Amino acid sequence: MSVSEQDQGAPVIPGSPLARVLDDYAVPGLSAGFADRVLAAAEVRPAPLPELRQQRRWRGWRLGRGIALGIASFGALATAAAATGLLQQFDIPVPSAEKVWASITGKPPARAAAPAPVIAAAPDTASEPASLAQVEIVGPVDTPEELSEAFRRIDEVRAGRYATRRENITQRIDNAIAQRRAAGLPVPTPEEEAAFRQRVEEAQARRQQLADERLAARRAEMERKVANGEALTRKGIVQPLRDDARAPERLRQLRRMSPEQRREALRQLPPEERRVLMEEYRARRQGPAVPTPAVPADSPPAEQEGAGTGTRDPR
Amino acid sequence: MNASSEPLTSALRIADPGDDAALAARLAARDPAALREVIACHGAALHRACYRMTGDGHEAEDIVQEACLRLWDQAPKIAARHPIGSQAAATLRLGGWLQRVVTNLAIDCLRRTRRLSDGEVPDSADDTPLADTLIEAGERDGTARALIMALPERQRAAIVLTYYEELPNAEAAEAMDMNIKAFESLLHRARAALRQAWTAQGDAP
Repeated sequence: MSVSEQDQGAPVIPGSPLARVLDDYAVPGLSAGFADRVLAAAEVRPAPLPELRQQRRWRGWRLGRGIALGIASFGALATAAAATGLLQQFDIPVPSAEKVWASITGKPPARAAAPAPVIAAAPDTASEPASLAQVEIVGPVDTPEELSEAFRRIDEVRAGRYATRRENITQRIDNAIAQRRAAGLPVPTPEEEAAFRQRVEEAQARRQQLADERLAARRAEMERKVANGEALTRKGIVQPLRDDARAPERLRQLRRMSPEQRREALRQLPPEERRVLMEEYRARRQGPAVPTPAVPADSPPAEQEGAGTGTRDPR
Repeated sequence: MNASSEPLTSALRIADPGDDAALAARLAARDPAALREVIACHGAALHRACYRMTGDGHEAEDIVQEACLRLWDQAPKIAARHPIGSQAAATLRLGGWLQRVVTNLAIDCLRRTRRLSDGEVPDSADDTPLADTLIEAGERDGTARALIMALPERQRAAIVLTYYEELPNAEAAEAMDMNIKAFESLLHRARAALRQAWTAQGDAP
C-alpha cells in the first residue's frame, strides 16, 4: 500500500501492514497482588480535603454586591447634588417633588396653575403673588410699566401689613382692658374706650401719611431715574427702605438703656446714623402722643409712640 | 498481540445499567470488596491503555492505583449524585470515569517526564539480549512502541483509546475531556503522524 496516495488520517484498517505492526505492541499483565496493594493504600490513605468554604455562587454575589453599592453611591451623590442645587448650576433640570408625584399619580400638581417662570424671572421685584401680576417684569426694572407694577406689588404688601397691624392694636387694647377687669382695676367706659381707639386710629393715620409722603418722594425719585433710562434693581428699590426701617429698632434699643447709657450710645454713633435717628425721633415727635404706660421722663418721645402702638414704621 | 492486549470494550460494558451505581454506593460505604471488584473488572484494561501510553509497566501500575484510590475518595460524591434507582444511576459508568482519570494522569505523567528528561523514548526492551526465538517478536514490539511513543501525548492517547481499546469516538472524547469535533480532528492528525512515522522507518511495503 502506498501511504502517500491514501488519506493519511483515515482509520487503520485491521489486517493492514500498519495494523499488524501496531498489534505487535505487547502489554504485560498486572503484577500479582496489585489489588491487595491498592486496598492497603486505600486503608492508609488520608481523608480527602473538605470542600472549599467559598462556593462558586459567592462569585456572582460579589459582582452583584459591587453593582448594588455602585448604584447606591451614585444615587446618594445624585441626591446630594440635586439637594444642594449643584445640578441647576449646570442647567440640568431637576423636577420638584410635586411634579414627580403628579407624573406618578397622573394628577396635575397643585401649583401647576401658578406661573412659576414669572416668579423666577422677576427676582428684582417685591415678593408679591405673581398670579396678580399684570405686567411681567423681566430683569432689572427699567420701564415705567415695570416700575408701576413693582409699586403696585409693594402697595399690596403694605396694605396687608397695615391691616395686620390694626388687628394687632385692637387685640392688644382688648387684652389690656380684659386684664384690668380681671385684676379688679377700673376699666374705661365705652365712651372713653371709643375716644381712646379714635386717638389711636388718628395717630396711626398720621404716621401712615408721613410714611406715604416719604414713600411718594422716593418713588418720584425712582420714576425720574427710570425716565432717564436708569435701571433699578431690587436692592436699589428695597434697600433704602430697610435702612430707614432700622431706625425704630434702634430707638427701641436706646429706650431699654439708662439715660446715661443712651446719651453715651448716641454720642458714639456715626454722624450719618445719628442723623437718621434724630429725623426719626422728630417725625415721631410731630405726631400726637399716644397714651402709654410708664415711660421715663427723659426718654425720647418717639419711644413713647413706639411703645404705645407696638408697631413698626411701614417701609 | 498477547492475551492482555484484548480490547477494553467488553470489560467496560459488562456491567448492566445501574450496577455501577450500586457499586459506587458500596464504595461510598467503604466496602473493600467493592474496590477489589472494581479492580478486577477494570484494572487490566486501564493498565493496558496506560502502559501503551507511557511504555512503562511500573508507571502504568502507579497510575492505575492512583485512579482507583481517587475513585475510593470520590465514591461518596459519585454515589450521592447517582442514587440507586434513580435515572442518573442508569447513566453512571465507572469504567468511563476511571478511563478519563487514567488518561489525564498518563498525559500528566508524560508531560512531567518530558520536562524532567531529555525526551528520550524509554526503550528498555531492547537493552537486554533475548533468545533467538524472541528476537523477532521483540523487534516488532520495539517498532510498534517506537511508533506510538513518537506521537505527542494527546495524539498517543487518541490512538490508544480508539485503536487498541476500540472505544467509540464519543467515549474516547469524553475520556479526554474534549468535544467530539475536536477529538476527531486530533485523531485525524494522530493517524497521519503515525503513518508518516511508519513510512519514515521504511517498513511500509
